[in-house]
Amino acid sequence: MNAGVVVPGQDRVDSVDVRRGRQSFLARRQRPLLLVGALVVLLLASVFLFRGGFWGQLVTQMLIFAIAAMGVDFLGGYGGLVSLGQASWLGLGAYGVAVSMTRGAGPWAAIGISLGVLLVVALIAGLLAVRVSGISFVIMTLALGQILFGLSSSLIDVSGGDNGLIIPINPVLGPMDLNDTRHLSFAVLAVFVLSAVVLWTFVHSPFGLSLRGIKSNEQRLRTLGYSTWLHRYIGYVVSVIFGGIAGILYVFTNGLVTPTALDLGHNGIITLMAVVGGLGTLWGPALGSVMILLLQQYVSIYVERWATVMGLLFVAIVVFAPEGVWGVGKKYARRLSHQSSRVPPVGIAAALPSDDAIPTVEPIESIEPNEPIKPSEPIEEEVR
Amino acid sequence: MHQFYVQTLNGLTLAGIMFLVSSGFTLVFGVMRVTNLAHGAIYLLGGYIAYSAIQTLDNFFFGLLAAALATAALGLLLERTLIKRMRGQVMAELLATLGLVYVIDDLALAIWGGNPLSLRLPGFLQDSSTLPGQIVYPNGRIFIFVVATAIGLGLFFLLRRTRIGAIVRAGVDNRAMVGAMGINVRLVFTAVFALGAMLAGVGGALGGTVLGLAPGGDAEILTFALIVVIVGGLGSFEGAVLGSLIVGLLSNYGQAYFPALAYFALFAPLVVVLLVRPQGLLGRAAA
Repeated sequence: MNAGVVVPGQDRVDSVDVRRGRQSFLARRQRPLLLVGALVVLLLASVFLFRGGFWGQLVTQMLIFAIAAMGVDFLGGYGGLVSLGQASWLGLGAYGVAVSMTRGAGPWAAIGISLGVLLVVALIAGLLAVRVSGISFVIMTLALGQILFGLSSSLIDVSGGDNGLIIPINPVLGPMDLNDTRHLSFAVLAVFVLSAVVLWTFVHSPFGLSLRGIKSNEQRLRTLGYSTWLHRYIGYVVSVIFGGIAGILYVFTNGLVTPTALDLGHNGIITLMAVVGGLGTLWGPALGSVMILLLQQYVSIYVERWATVMGLLFVAIVVFAPEGVWGVGKKYARRLSHQSSRVPPVGIAAALPSDDAIPTVEPIESIEPNEPIKPSEPIEEEVR
Repeated sequence: MHQFYVQTLNGLTLAGIMFLVSSGFTLVFGVMRVTNLAHGAIYLLGGYIAYSAIQTLDNFFFGLLAAALATAALGLLLERTLIKRMRGQVMAELLATLGLVYVIDDLALAIWGGNPLSLRLPGFLQDSSTLPGQIVYPNGRIFIFVVATAIGLGLFFLLRRTRIGAIVRAGVDNRAMVGAMGINVRLVFTAVFALGAMLAGVGGALGGTVLGLAPGGDAEILTFALIVVIVGGLGSFEGAVLGSLIVGLLSNYGQAYFPALAYFALFAPLVVVLLVRPQGLLGRAAA
């Protein structure tokens, strides 16, 4: 494929990331820039976490929700499957710890049990969820999430019903005592950095690339012999596990978990964090988490009807800036550096091909009369 | 046996409410491909509007009418101002309606407060009748089932026997072709969206008499509607009927016989349908 040829239609694999050998000038210049940015953010977060108090707590929560939102983004932005049930997985992780501890397990054992339960439930739920894609997947994940929410409030013997469960003691590891707020905050920061690195590695691995390939054109990948089902399944389980990890941190920092953490509002908020920040960029969800929690926790002090403000803001972003805040920033950065206008789609536009649900159109669109499938397509080069 | 009979009737009432909500949801999806996540919020709003109208007008039927008109007007407004801006972008439409959930819920909380409200039925509907088999059953619940059935039959007639229905069904099959035939698809979309919202509003006014009205009730009814359409088939009207009956009855038996595990009763049909027919019982493949 010549560098100048724009593949029309559905074939929208991110050209910058896929053609690693032929990176644009900007991408090469961007990497150190992003690294410096990450260090500044890390430093800033550390200052807040060290000082503690209201802002320290808020930053801790931002980091926790950022982990969950990055999990949504991994599957939604890169795999094209937007989950609307992440808060329920956060809740399952939190309840896994809380239930084990009220039954006598130590904090570390409780974390182990919680992760085990998460993995098992995710492996089962994944079998169901990835049987559908597109809009049906969104609806499916929301329905599954709402069932988890319903169980958390109705299984009173296990979950304590609407009163929730309280965590009596946090884990201690050598000199690190997580009962100390400062220690706990920095542990959250460490897990956040680790999660970001792991997800970044995933996204840029052959697995991540084929996941993006599936989003662009599943039929083609399937024809090439990829088990697209398995990719989506693994992607779903990974995404869910990060929701659960966020939940484990959530329950230790808050000291309790109630069914509210799993409700429709929270399920929506985590997905909207990823969307508002910008799907398809791992920075986006983190930024979305910062913005939304800032709005929720800080603005609510001054404005009583903050939820209305937040809802209207969501609608406005979806309508006017569907690529998310990070996506808009990226677009302008590219424009400033005279980059070509061929910007890979991020955000909602990248999540789903429009009108994906019309059966009669689909087979026609996936045939590209002027573009025979060439063996030198970049996807194949990269992922073998 | 007597108990089972009563629970079956309760399940049918619940199925009636679920049908009103999910048929609107599935019609809007079928014709416009819009996943209206604010559907549950509109249900709750309909119930609240009916409550306020009954308070001032002192007549349940005026309340029902007010809820229907107000939610239809809201649907009209939303379609004309918001949904039409995102035509064809299925994900954007879904997320925008998700944003609306926060707005509607928050405003409803500001106006009607957080305490559960209950809609009171008028005179004779508060009494009970003796049904065949020596069952004493409240008239109000029979009324809900009768109204839901009547609306269902009316919609069926509208969809299957009239020109408007033919246009709507054609829209489900191939929107582009309907437009090419010279039919004003814009108008059809607006009408269907308003109708969908109205069905949710009527569902709220009727459902409020049985299920009550409180914050969080919208998420519950939305969950029911989502499961009904997954089971019945997204976009299929007949699927909404079948799905409502299955989910309504199972959910009610679950609540009556295994209260702690009631949510597994919702989960079970979901699992079976997804394993056997991922597109839903009456859904079309690839939809």
